Amino acid sequence: MLAADTGPIAFPILTALVLTPIVGALLVALTPKTRPEITKVIALMSSVGTAAMSIWLMASFDTGDAGFQFVSKHTWIEPWGISWHLGVDGISLFLVVLTGILFPIVIAGIDPHHDEKPYLAWMLMLQAGVMGSFLSLDLFVFFIFFEIVLVPMYFLIGGWGYENRVYAATKFFLYTMLGSAFMLVGLVATVWIASDDLGKVTFDLVEIAEGADFAASTGRWLFFAFAIAFAVKVPIFPLHTWLPDAHTQAPTAGSVVLAGVMLKLGTYGLLRFGLYLFPEASYWSRSLWLTLAVIGIIYGAIAATMQKDLKRLVAYSSVAHLGFIVLGTFAFTTQSMTGSVIQMVNHGVSTGALFLFVGWIYERRKTRQIADLNGIQKVAPIFAAGFMVVMLSSIGVPGLNGFIGEFLILTGSFLTARWWTVVAAAGVILAALYLLWAYQRVFHGEPDENNKDFPELRVKEALTLLPFLGLIVFMGVYPKPVLDRIEPSIDVLITHVEAHTDYVEPEPTVVVGEHSDQEQSDAEEGE
Amino acid sequence: MLAQIDTFVGPEVGWFALSPLLTLLGGALGLMLLGALTPQWPKGLYAFVSATTAGAAAVLAMVQWDDITDNGPTTLVAGALAFDTFAMFMTITICIAVILVSLLSDDYLRGTPNDGPEIYALYLVAAIGGIVMSSANDLIVLFLGLETLSLALYVLAASNRRSSESAESGLKYFVLGGFASAFFLYGIALVYGATGSTNITEMVTALQSSADLSTPDTLALAGIAMLIVGLGFKVAAVPFHVWAPDVYQGAPTPITAFMASAGKAAAFAAMLRVLVIALPFYRDDWRPIIWVLALLSLLVGSVLAIVQTNVKRMLAYSSISHAGFILVGVEAAAHQAGDIDAGPGMPSVVLYLMLYSVLVIGSFGVVTVVARDAGGDSSLDAFKGLARRRPVLALAFTVFLLAQAGVPFTSGFIAKFGVIQAAVEVDSYAIAIIAMVTAVVAAYLYLRIMVTMWLGEPAGGETPEPLAVPFSAGVAIGAAVAFTLVVGILPGWLIDAADQVTSYAR
Amino acid sequence: MADLVWLIPAFPLAGFLTILLFGRRLGDPKAGYVATAAVFASFVVAASIYFDLLGRPEEERATVVTLFSWVPVGTLQIDLAFLADPLSILMVLFVTFVGGMIHLFAVGYMHGDPKFSKFFLYLNLFVFSMTLLVLGENLLVTFLGWEGVGTCSYFLIAFWHTRESAATAGKKAFVTNRVGDFGVMLAMFLSFQAVGSMSYSVLNESAESGSLAASTATGITLLLLLGAAGKSAQIPLYLWLPDAMEGPTPVSALIHAATMVTGGVFLLTRINPVITVSYDWVPTTIAWVGAITALFAATIALAQNDIKKVLAYSTVSQIGYMVLAVGTGAYVAAIFHMVTHAAFKALLFLGAGSVIHGMHEEQDMRKMGALRAFMPITAATFIVGWLAIAGVPPFSGFFSKDEILLYALADSVPLYVVGIVTAILTAVYMTRQVIMVFFGEARWTSLANAEEAPEVAEGEPPVETHDAHGEFKPHESPPIMLIPLVVLAALAAIGGIINLPGLFGIPSGGTYRLEEWLHPVIEFGEAKISDTWAYDNKYLLVAIAVACSLGGIALAYAIYLKKRLPPWEPTLFAKGWYYDQAVSWFMGNPGRDGFEAVAEFDSKVVDGTVNGVAVAVKETATHASKRQTGYVRQYAGIIGIGVVLLLGWFVVIRGIL
Repeated sequence: MLAADTGPIAFPILTALVLTPIVGALLVALTPKTRPEITKVIALMSSVGTAAMSIWLMASFDTGDAGFQFVSKHTWIEPWGISWHLGVDGISLFLVVLTGILFPIVIAGIDPHHDEKPYLAWMLMLQAGVMGSFLSLDLFVFFIFFEIVLVPMYFLIGGWGYENRVYAATKFFLYTMLGSAFMLVGLVATVWIASDDLGKVTFDLVEIAEGADFAASTGRWLFFAFAIAFAVKVPIFPLHTWLPDAHTQAPTAGSVVLAGVMLKLGTYGLLRFGLYLFPEASYWSRSLWLTLAVIGIIYGAIAATMQKDLKRLVAYSSVAHLGFIVLGTFAFTTQSMTGSVIQMVNHGVSTGALFLFVGWIYERRKTRQIADLNGIQKVAPIFAAGFMVVMLSSIGVPGLNGFIGEFLILTGSFLTARWWTVVAAAGVILAALYLLWAYQRVFHGEPDENNKDFPELRVKEALTLLPFLGLIVFMGVYPKPVLDRIEPSIDVLITHVEAHTDYVEPEPTVVVGEHSDQEQSDAEEGE
Repeated sequence: MLAQIDTFVGPEVGWFALSPLLTLLGGALGLMLLGALTPQWPKGLYAFVSATTAGAAAVLAMVQWDDITDNGPTTLVAGALAFDTFAMFMTITICIAVILVSLLSDDYLRGTPNDGPEIYALYLVAAIGGIVMSSANDLIVLFLGLETLSLALYVLAASNRRSSESAESGLKYFVLGGFASAFFLYGIALVYGATGSTNITEMVTALQSSADLSTPDTLALAGIAMLIVGLGFKVAAVPFHVWAPDVYQGAPTPITAFMASAGKAAAFAAMLRVLVIALPFYRDDWRPIIWVLALLSLLVGSVLAIVQTNVKRMLAYSSISHAGFILVGVEAAAHQAGDIDAGPGMPSVVLYLMLYSVLVIGSFGVVTVVARDAGGDSSLDAFKGLARRRPVLALAFTVFLLAQAGVPFTSGFIAKFGVIQAAVEVDSYAIAIIAMVTAVVAAYLYLRIMVTMWLGEPAGGETPEPLAVPFSAGVAIGAAVAFTLVVGILPGWLIDAADQVTSYAR
Repeated sequence: MADLVWLIPAFPLAGFLTILLFGRRLGDPKAGYVATAAVFASFVVAASIYFDLLGRPEEERATVVTLFSWVPVGTLQIDLAFLADPLSILMVLFVTFVGGMIHLFAVGYMHGDPKFSKFFLYLNLFVFSMTLLVLGENLLVTFLGWEGVGTCSYFLIAFWHTRESAATAGKKAFVTNRVGDFGVMLAMFLSFQAVGSMSYSVLNESAESGSLAASTATGITLLLLLGAAGKSAQIPLYLWLPDAMEGPTPVSALIHAATMVTGGVFLLTRINPVITVSYDWVPTTIAWVGAITALFAATIALAQNDIKKVLAYSTVSQIGYMVLAVGTGAYVAAIFHMVTHAAFKALLFLGAGSVIHGMHEEQDMRKMGALRAFMPITAATFIVGWLAIAGVPPFSGFFSKDEILLYALADSVPLYVVGIVTAILTAVYMTRQVIMVFFGEARWTSLANAEEAPEVAEGEPPVETHDAHGEFKPHESPPIMLIPLVVLAALAAIGGIINLPGLFGIPSGGTYRLEEWLHPVIEFGEAKISDTWAYDNKYLLVAIAVACSLGGIALAYAIYLKKRLPPWEPTLFAKGWYYDQAVSWFMGNPGRDGFEAVAEFDSKVVDGTVNGVAVAVKETATHASKRQTGYVRQYAGIIGIGVVLLLGWFVVIRGIL
């Protein structure tokens, strides 16, 4: 996992990915109030530019290479040994791409209804923050991005949210900040303690992870300091209660982004800064995380079943889905961890799309209460069909993206954490229960007075939805290109863990028949 | 006798080294003199003069900074004043405060009976006091500086003759301040009794020679207790903070800004001089106290802040919690006090002081403008819907508040980060974590103000009348914002500078 | 030719996409014809592959066609691959043929339904998934089809979604099946852990080569049995199937009689080597699950009055037979019965559909009778189906059921007894149905339906005769619905030839026979009974079987037509032994309360703590700030206390002590 020594590359693509939205935001902020149309154009241009770059990044990403690519490193705050160190590998690549493409879609597709200028500025700021967190390879840089993300999100929820927005926004801000309070101390301590091994004070993630060797007890304390912050962000039971409020009160775009990429900051952090920095501690504490993850899966699903607010229901479903990701992460197998990474993307897509629908329902009916909705499928069949596809993906029906992640996670976890996996798999039943039940109450039946002229899916909405549906189907049918890019980095990470612990990844005993030979050949073709 | 008189040789003064002080003194006298002799000057000229004076002093300090870094620190006026980077850093900090506050005061004083040179002269005098405190190499000199500063502040606090609150705050400050000063003076006496000198250099050597800590010197310890009381009062550390909320709230807002910035900075500088530089041998005795003071200040400051309804009072409490944060830095410095490698404690403190001074002046600057528009009302309601009336001003305030909350890309984050780093490097994790957690509590306060500004309904309803921002105040606030963000993004140079203050004179 | 196996799912998929894009434009009935054509196209492909394989030596009859690598991660290498072997090809043959017939029927049945094209959209998607299920080369591809058919069945059961009962039934079917899928998924994981692959070939090879531990094999088998119980509606998960009758009748025929519900049996047959190497009690368990289900469902069918409910429970019972066969190692018999059952049960359902159609959405058999005069062809074909299921020779059902009973006896007597009793009951309830519907006196009146016509307005075909209140007269269905009936009737009648037993001088051997055909697939698992007592007394068994079925028919004749005996239909049966109510009650009360409790816990305790902390801090602050009086003396006092404490610390603690 050493930073691949790609010399001075022509164009600092990663830095550009972070800066473009910021510049866009500043321009938006500077445009005169009298020219509202310009702001939208600028916002779109910068976000689309970012998307284009992220896609270019994916295209020119070297599939086989497990290390960090497109690395750019410059000293930033010299006296403190902090450097502007960005890099992307298989773990972060698709999160970066998702961040890249999600924003233009929601910016173009969702209308804030008021004060568009600041709204767009905050959105772009948010994009920059999330981008930075996914790209940074320097503890300090990661932390500041991880932390700064709160501000735009706070204003988006507080400024464009629903009835209870201030409470939700404040709760979100303080809860997450509390988590990162511990991380900050842990982070500084990590650097300080590592400086003994490294002989210098540096915040460079790679140098510390590869060079420093923490004493077991120390490493565990430090790991937990980090883990708390991530656990809040994910969120892991029982630190999840900010999520339903934030999700429910956030404006549609906010919810989409929150579910789409922001929650992944937590799970990504656990992989990148938990397992990579503190392999011993994370392996040592795995059963705790597995248990919490499984609790989250079942608990979140049950709580979701009983929600009366459709948006809250989706929020709780996120708790369950992210439980799967955590499970896969701490199962320490190639399949489960690769599954976790791809599930981060898939959950972003499908849950993001679900939030789109909830938002559209709210725009039409000015309510999110399941009880107030019924019979929509009769009056808006296409709308219902779209929702159905997204829902099935969220349930995890094979052939759609949701399944691939869950399947890989469970398959891998079964090897190292069998009984946790068994319980987790039961969560799959519940997922069907709460979503189908909600669907029946909202879409089936005879529409009553209030719902009988529920508008059908509009063209703009359809266009917004299209990329989501495309990804849902593609990732479900042909995930190979994605998996091939993720897996090498995961393998290296597991090797890293194996090197620092007595853990050895279990290798299923392959019975060599003529078919498994053919599998091998396929695998080679894949490389 | 006469012979003695003949042979009397004044101490080596080193006039150039004193030039910052002399500049400020000259400025003060000049203002008073000219103000008395000449008729009313064109508006804004007093502020301009005091600002430029402070500016000149700051520049001279920077010049001497290089001199010191080249030739090493020394003492002046027969070892009465220390001529070192630490002193210079504080000088610059205080001068910056004076500049900004002067700009703020200009428009604020228009049309008040104080619209003359006096206030500005007092700023400069107070600044002199502050600088003397932070560069004193002798406890008596330090006390002189402290009194100079305090007296100036008492007067300033009460300067608004039309407001009973102002008078009350001045009086409170005066009474309690005197009370505290008495303790401080008594402390000096006791320490003198223990060490046989008030000169820091001699104290240190005296202690070094009689460095028998097995049988603790109760006299000296009692003296330290008294000194801490006095200093704790000046920095408004719990439980010696009680005066701060009332005084901050009552005093004219620019004055509050001055107290919270220059006043606090000077007081902390004095604390470092007295405890870290002069009394390292007792560090194990007083460090726990600093720890406790830090803890209390953090808790009380942040917790009490969140329920206030008056923004000035809120900021008063938040400044108490900031004092707590700085004390964390002092506590960190205490671990290595007197060692060859002084550690990151002191740098983190001075850095925090400079950054916070600018922040707090900016914050109170916004309050000044808003309150002035609302007829002196600085309650939270006055800020409702500020974003609609003056988006830019609201944005500026948001930056300051976020910075105080310690959000990245602002100087506030750098300051906190430095302190936490210092604390962690000496393994005081507990206080570091407590500090960060209380910072979260305090953050609620800042969010509350932001919500009011951005989401509150302005009094004017749909079309509220825009709020007028005076030019000079605008400049001050703008400069503060710029500084906050620039340092937040590119703090390297400042950190480098701060790291050099540990090469202080003894 | 076998390399073109991918065409089989391709056609229905194409049909699905066509209707998805142009469905509304094609409309009624063109969309229906497109769908039907797609299915028959895959039938043609399947047939040609069948003959291709037939031309090959036995051991070369398995071809793997890999489309692309689907889920490749480390040692887990799963391809989207098809396995064309005797079993899968046989399955697709009858799936596509029967499916095609039902499509044709549906064109007539769904005529005039506002969602006509959408109906065929789902049907094609279903056939596509079903072919994936049977053609899958590994568990995951099968699972893909498995879930696909489940989803389609959800769509189709809830097809008339404005009807609350339909929506609920659909949801129930999906969720209940998910319980089974839970088992299938775990089985997949276990297979991967044990043999590092999910492909049938690897799994079965390892079982045959003995490298698969018996414990693992047992685990996989039982987990798959759970899956089968869900998909094939066995105890304890059969609950969803009777409710699934909420769907349009062609759906019941296609999904809930002929094809999908046999998926479980297929899956167990597919992995028969694994079953064979698992502990001895495992096959017995399977057999008993099947046997008990068969009997249990038969008793319930005895007391149903809804024409479709009778058939639904009969389906459950008949699949019970198949599972019983699997448990006794009679894989050929299981598949054989699956095929014949597909024919005659589809026939019966379509017949019922035709009746319902003719009676204007009337499903209650008590409101029918003497319909043979009004719908002769329907009646005739229905009677063929009845004879087939009742096990009257030489109709197809007789042969397949007889085979199963033979193996049952060879395995254990109690199983055989249960099987026989079930056979009698089957004869009884089917005869009862035929009599109630087609014979006896007409219990329907012109007004009987007049009230009910509006209730079921949704999806009702525009009736060519009379308005609801006018004179009412059952009518025969249009030709497009009758043709499939006739064809299927023919199959039901002569279907037995595909695996005639070597009795009465019929030449045994010859690859046309199912037994020979399936031999390569099931040889490892197939039970060897040639030396058992049962095998030696085949003729006796045949005699008993025939006697039972005829006896059953006679009994029913006596009860329901001649009224010699009082009908015995206890409420216990009518209510399905109250099993459904019990489960629903549990879900509704303790289950729901439990869920509520968790939700409460979340908002009150977990979130309560969070908000509680916030409130606590605020409260403290308010109290504390109230303390501040603003009097200087108080402030001086506080400072004084501070001074005392400091002195205390420095002088006393640090100094003197």
